[in-house]
Amino acid sequence: MTRAADEASLIGRIAAGDETALRALFARHQTRVFRFILRLVRNAAVAEELTNEVFLEVWRSAGSYAGASSAATWMLSIAHHRAVSSLRKRREETWDEDAAAELPDTGDNPEMVAQKADKGAILRRCINALSPEHKGIVDLVYYHEMSITEASEILKIPENTVKTRMFYARKRLSELLKEAGIDRGWP
Amino acid sequence: MSEQTTEEIEREEIEMLLPWYVTGKLDRTDAARVESYLARHPRLAAQLDLIRAERDETVLANEALGRPSATALDRLLAALPAAKPWLAQRIARSALFQRVSDFFAAPTARGVQWASLTAAALIVVQAAAITSLVVRDGGSTYETAAGQSVGGGQWTADGVSALVVFADDAKASAIAGLMTEFDASIVDGPKPGGVYKIRLRTADRSQSAQDALLRRLAERRDIVRTVLPSRN
Repeated sequence: MTRAADEASLIGRIAAGDETALRALFARHQTRVFRFILRLVRNAAVAEELTNEVFLEVWRSAGSYAGASSAATWMLSIAHHRAVSSLRKRREETWDEDAAAELPDTGDNPEMVAQKADKGAILRRCINALSPEHKGIVDLVYYHEMSITEASEILKIPENTVKTRMFYARKRLSELLKEAGIDRGWP
Repeated sequence: MSEQTTEEIEREEIEMLLPWYVTGKLDRTDAARVESYLARHPRLAAQLDLIRAERDETVLANEALGRPSATALDRLLAALPAAKPWLAQRIARSALFQRVSDFFAAPTARGVQWASLTAAALIVVQAAAITSLVVRDGGSTYETAAGQSVGGGQWTADGVSALVVFADDAKASAIAGLMTEFDASIVDGPKPGGVYKIRLRTADRSQSAQDALLRRLAERRDIVRTVLPSRN
């Protein structure tokens, strides 16, 4: 059985009220969903709460899952909606790129601090400083390895908008890098 | 439109596809289009290195986030019944069906005891049924010594309650089918005599509708042996 078929089967069992199937799906996708949300809302407690809400939504609406998209795409779509709604509610959390750029780089361990000037670390900090909209598409494409069609389904935007959003996210990244002293010659 | 503009448009279209080209997520047509363009414009290949660096650092940034706490699953599981209350009822009902199934399928010593009790209690139940019918005609209800009132069924927010005894040879699957057909759920039992309290969901609250519903249920003699209205 392919992974897609296996997960469709899991969701079918969840629709019938199989808690074990939900546990299995949770074990497979919890971290992926949690990270996707955390990157957008920037608060671990909120991200964890929203992650649970995603799986509760799966529990509630598994019967309506048509199987047209993968389980991951479906769940990330719910996750994106929840994260954006949460951000809208928390108006005080409006994104400030300048402030975000100053956030501690969680990817650095003590050994890496000495290499702060490293190009990779700067690139990482600039990616972290992107707006939620831009960071969301970058994460979907690079980390979650979503196709254009899948990203379109998750973000509920046309495929052409997916392409242009990614394009402008990369352009913005170049601007942030330039401000950090790195000119990568594009665009 | 000038030739250069067309070239710029094509370049931008290809640039937009490059991230997916690097992650291997382009469909065959677009991938071929990108490769054809790269073959004609080798300088654009430098973009691929930029994109690979972006991808590598994005992966690192995500992996550095750690994982949710170990208690997340417990909290999720605790929230499930409230998220789907009808399902929680159905699961409880399924457990009861299993008990029904076990009861009828396995003639254990306990089962024999129950059968004896059933035979004895049936007389009481049948008597109560007959009495209730008689008494209802007089406009009142009858209450057993155990405090079980029998008479006009009690309307709850979502339907009417009834006491039923299933036929000895009724299969669990047939019982489950009947319960689904009547949108009913077992809320208690089995009590001595194999009596189950069930709740039938219906939107019509009239007495005539209640009577008709229970009459219709009672007509299914292949599955239910006794049907009585229940007040509580």
